[in-house]
Amino acid sequence: MANLSHDPAHQSFDASDPHSVEHGHGGSIRTYVMVALALVFLTACSYWTYTPFWPFGDNVAIKRTWMMAVSCTKAMLVILFFMHLKWEANWKWVLTVPASMMSLLLVLALVPDVGRRMNYASRERLINSAQQPEREAAGKPGTALRPAEHPVGEKH
Amino acid sequence: MSDHSHSAHPPKLEYQPALPIPNGKLCLWLFLSTEIMFFAGLIGAYIVLRFGAAAWPSTHDVHLVELMGAINTAVLIGSSITVVLALEAAKQNNASLAKGWIVLTLALGSIFLGVKAFEYRAKFSHGIYPGLPHSQIYESANVNYAAAVRQRVAELKNPLAAKENRTEEDDAQIQVLDSIAAELDAAEKLLRDKPEAPDGRVALLRLADRIYPRASVHALHDGNMHDELEHLKIEDDQDPLEEEIEKAASAATPVLTLASAETSNADAGHLVGLNDQYPWLQLPIMIPGGNTWASTYFLVTGFHAIHVIVGLIAFGLLCTKTLNAAYSGVIENVGLYWHFVDLVWIFLFPLLYLF
Repeated sequence: MANLSHDPAHQSFDASDPHSVEHGHGGSIRTYVMVALALVFLTACSYWTYTPFWPFGDNVAIKRTWMMAVSCTKAMLVILFFMHLKWEANWKWVLTVPASMMSLLLVLALVPDVGRRMNYASRERLINSAQQPEREAAGKPGTALRPAEHPVGEKH
Repeated sequence: MSDHSHSAHPPKLEYQPALPIPNGKLCLWLFLSTEIMFFAGLIGAYIVLRFGAAAWPSTHDVHLVELMGAINTAVLIGSSITVVLALEAAKQNNASLAKGWIVLTLALGSIFLGVKAFEYRAKFSHGIYPGLPHSQIYESANVNYAAAVRQRVAELKNPLAAKENRTEEDDAQIQVLDSIAAELDAAEKLLRDKPEAPDGRVALLRLADRIYPRASVHALHDGNMHDELEHLKIEDDQDPLEEEIEKAASAATPVLTLASAETSNADAGHLVGLNDQYPWLQLPIMIPGGNTWASTYFLVTGFHAIHVIVGLIAFGLLCTKTLNAAYSGVIENVGLYWHFVDLVWIFLFPLLYLF
C-alpha cells in the first residue's frame, strides 16, 4: 500500500488526538503576510487590464490569458500556504486530484451542447436572438447567413 | 495447550488511521472536494453560456463596477490572512489574540457581504432581476418589447388621465408618457409599412436606447477613444449616436467596447436614461443577452454569498469560545472552508467583472 505520509512523525499518528498532527506544519507569520501582500498585488495585476495603463490595448485574448494566469497563481498561493497543502502529506493528492479532474470533465462535457450551441444555429433562430443577423437587418430575407456554417437541413 | 494460551492472551490490536489527519479535517476536505465540483459546475455553466451566447452585455451595461469587485477581492484576501493569524495565535495558546483575529475576520466578511448587497441593489433598482415577475429585461428591440413598453405606458397614464383634479406634476408625467407613446407609434408604423427594411427596428432601438442607454454602444462615441476606433470617422453633420444605433441594429455580432473608454464616462461608465431621469417610469429595458447574464450572475454570486454567510455564522460561533490551543483544530477547519470561499471568488472576480 502506498505510504500517504512523507513525514516519519505521521507513522505514529493518533487520530483521536487533534493536536498530535499539526506540530511542525505551516509557515511563519512573515510568510503568511508576504503571501497576502502577493495576493493583493496580483489582484491589482488583474485590475491593471482594465486601466488605461494596460499596454496591449483591447486585445481580448491577451487580457483573458493574463487574467486567468493571475487567478491560477493566486489560487495556488492560497491552496499551498493558507490551506497548508504545501506542508501536508501525500493524502492531499487523493482528495484534490480526483475532484479537480471531475470538475474539468464537467466543464468539458458542457461545451458541445451548450458552449457551441450558436455555432450551427439556424437562420430562424438567429433572427429571434438578441441581435439581428446582418443580411436580415439589411432587408434581404431568405438569404442564408453563413452558408458554409449551415449544412442543408440542419436546424437546432 | 496453545489454544488455551491464545484465548488467555488475545493479540494486541492497534488502531491505524487511514489518513494521517484528524477525522474532522478529513471530513472537511471531503466536503471541500464536493464543493470544488459544485462550484466547477456553476462556473463552468457560466463560462459555456457566456462564450456560446449570441450577445452578452458589457460590465457597464448591467451596472457592475470593476473597482468594487477589486476592493471586495482585497477584503476577502484580508479576511483569509486574519484567519491564518488566528490559527497561529491559537496554536500558541494566545486565546485573546486569536479571538481578536476572528472578530476582524467576521468584520471583513461582513464588509464583503455589504458591498455585495450594495451591488445587488444597483441591479434591482434598474429592473435587472434573474427572472419574472420582477425582471424588466428584453433581449431585443422587437414587437414584443414595443408591446411591453406600450402596456407600461398605458398602466401609468390611465389613472393620471382619469384624475379630475390633476396637478402640474401629473401633467408633466402625462407629457413624458405621451412623448414615449408618440415615438412608439412612429416606430410601429415603420414596422408595418416597411416590414422588410431595418427602419422600424432602428426606431425601436433608438427608443430602447433613450429608456436604458447601454454603455457598450455609447462608449464608441467618446472623444478620448482608443486609436483603434478612429477609423470609424463619424462625420460632423451626422448624429454619432444615431449612426451607432443603426450600426448596432444591423450588426450580427454584439458591439465590442473598449474597457478604457467606458471608464472615461461619468458615473463609472453608467449612463442616464429615461428610467433614471424619471424613476417612476420603470419601463421595460433592452439588454441583449441580459436575461442569461442575470440568471448566471445571480446564481453564481448568490451561492457564493450563501457560503460567505455560513462562514460568518461559524466565525460568530467561534467568538463565543475560548480560542486556546484546544480549539486550534476547529479554527483550522473553519479556516480551510473560508479559504475555499476566497478561492472561488478569486476566479469569479475576473470572470464576472473583467472578462
